[in-house]
Amino acid sequence: MKQFRLPDLGEGLQEAEIIEWHVQPGDTVEVDQLLVSVETAKAIVEVPSPRAGVVSRCFGAPGDLLHVGSPLVEFEGPAEDSGTVVGSLGQAAGHSDLAADDFIIGAAPSSRAARAVRAAPRARQLAERLGVALDTLQGSGTDGLITEEDVQRAAAGPDGGEAVRSVRRSMARNMARAHAEVVPVTLVEDADLHLWPSGQRDPMVRLARAIARACLAEPALNVAFDGVRMSLVRHQQVDLGVAVDTPDGLFVPVLRDVANRDAEDLRAGLDRLRADVLNRSIPPRELMGATITLSNYGTLFGRYASPVVVPPQVAIVGAGVIRDQVVAVDGQPVVHRILPLSLTVDHRAVTGGEAARFLKALVTDLQLAE
Amino acid sequence: MAEQNTLCMVEAINLALHRAMTDDPDVVVLGEDVGPNGGVFRATLGLHERFGFRRVMDTPLAETLITGIAVGMAAQGLRPVAEIQFMGFIYPGMEQLVSHASRLRSRTRGRLSCPMVIRTPHGAGIHAPEHHGESTEAMLAHVPGLRVVIPSSPRRAYGLLLAAIADPDPVIFLEPSRLYRSVRQPVADDGQPLPLDTCFTLREGSDLTLVSWGAALKETLEAAARLAEEGIDCEVIDVATLKPLDAETVLASVSKTGRCVVVHEAARSYGPGAEIAALVQEQLFHALQAPVQRVTGFDCVIPYARQEMAYLPDVESICRAALRTLEQAS
Repeated sequence: MKQFRLPDLGEGLQEAEIIEWHVQPGDTVEVDQLLVSVETAKAIVEVPSPRAGVVSRCFGAPGDLLHVGSPLVEFEGPAEDSGTVVGSLGQAAGHSDLAADDFIIGAAPSSRAARAVRAAPRARQLAERLGVALDTLQGSGTDGLITEEDVQRAAAGPDGGEAVRSVRRSMARNMARAHAEVVPVTLVEDADLHLWPSGQRDPMVRLARAIARACLAEPALNVAFDGVRMSLVRHQQVDLGVAVDTPDGLFVPVLRDVANRDAEDLRAGLDRLRADVLNRSIPPRELMGATITLSNYGTLFGRYASPVVVPPQVAIVGAGVIRDQVVAVDGQPVVHRILPLSLTVDHRAVTGGEAARFLKALVTDLQLAE
Repeated sequence: MAEQNTLCMVEAINLALHRAMTDDPDVVVLGEDVGPNGGVFRATLGLHERFGFRRVMDTPLAETLITGIAVGMAAQGLRPVAEIQFMGFIYPGMEQLVSHASRLRSRTRGRLSCPMVIRTPHGAGIHAPEHHGESTEAMLAHVPGLRVVIPSSPRRAYGLLLAAIADPDPVIFLEPSRLYRSVRQPVADDGQPLPLDTCFTLREGSDLTLVSWGAALKETLEAAARLAEEGIDCEVIDVATLKPLDAETVLASVSKTGRCVVVHEAARSYGPGAEIAALVQEQLFHALQAPVQRVTGFDCVIPYARQEMAYLPDVESICRAALRTLEQAS
């Protein structure tokens, strides 16, 4: 219970007589709503409520004499004696970033591992003006310091090469990082689609569903792996990165929670992501947080591939061009539609057995009629 | 494994005091109203009842005396933990802190040390009168021989206070009063101190480094979350021990990100942000991608309640400073 005490009514008056209550227990009051009229030696004073809430008790009846500081009304809710005679303390309510409060003692592992690109401000300014990416340069100064000359030389280019920018530049960085960190293993298999309805040509929705089910069968591929801290986080939902080819370069927007969405919803989601990417109107947060990735280069050309796993993800599925192929059924040659699949995993985090079980679950689901 | 209760910061401080007094009979608590009253913010609640008046002492309203007694007790082998009711009242004790506590070890060539802790609420935002809302940590951090510590969560308050009490030299332990009861989290009473002289990385990121301490970390973390929605990935460092500063952690982070924004509610001129900015540019001049920015309080006396929040660094101004660092050449 939170009590409100009779406040100092000024002029050194120490007591007051209750004239009339304007509220009673059970009433909901607003801030500044009148609670009670009291009479001091000098005047009748209306006492407003200092807070909103539900009144649970009124102390005293008309005619009673109250001293300054004695309880006047009680509000519902737990009491907390926060003590201070000056100031008011905010009370904890709901979730905040501070309440979560995960912290690393000292520097983050990525800070310890980082090496800065060192360049004097003048060199940086020049690089910006000439469109030179500093992290592609080898500095010729002391301890690899990039000098203005280095920038000028790079801008001229040995054979007039153009600077790589924007999306292509992040692709170059991400792929180089993946290549440096990941230990990739690729496993390939075909899915036989002859049970599919004959009109169905675009496998994207089925692929998304099959990946979600394969993650359920083999959760080891739907994780985040940190090779520096040697830690692994198992994801509770499947957020599928979908590689989209554009003239500007490679984008990988994320389709959220694919395990719990029906085919129609997935189709709508895919269409929207693709349209946003092509318009370049996709917000950055839509490009972050994939737990596993699908690259459907089957819309372009090619059968199998060794797609690149981008950390902290540990797996990527590649889907090639669907083709008609002669297969043996009961010893007889027949023509079926075949979808070629390639699965790359990061062998630091995933075993060969886990990869094989995942691929088997993926193919099994894709081979269902619907 | 110790039992974890969900505590706010002032309760975590109280828990650490109980723990320290239980584990070490030399620990004593003194200050205004710290006894049966339990302290103006209730940080010493229950101590008097449990440990008695010989170890939990109410003092007169005289900060010079409180600080001086603590120096004497510490020099003679006790571990006093003194409370100054508000940071604005610490100044009468400065004579004792600057001229005695900080230099006792040096003056006696190591024969005497001064293992004392001064606890005091820090910072604005609770609508108290102006001299109850000060953040003058730079004055204290400037004095050689004083250690200045400021926690930003209940868990860190518990661990850092235990470390401060165990430390063989004087520690000023600043408690952000705005955070006293505004956040709750599980705190294990495991008696485990957290390291002094060490920053904490609250959020790992690659685009820029936000450096802050105390209550301003609330807005700093909110700014980091808002910037993340724009695709800007901030690292957030809680300095925790202002003096001596863990330069290694700050420098490692800024050499990764190349960008640094310091956030503090202390007044701007000659504030701790200037010290950190100077350190970063001395050591990392060639790694910086933009000038170091400061988001701070103003060079004025803390305004009264109506304008108080306008004085404090807000999420908006932190985001603006962060964006300024990103407009520079990459």
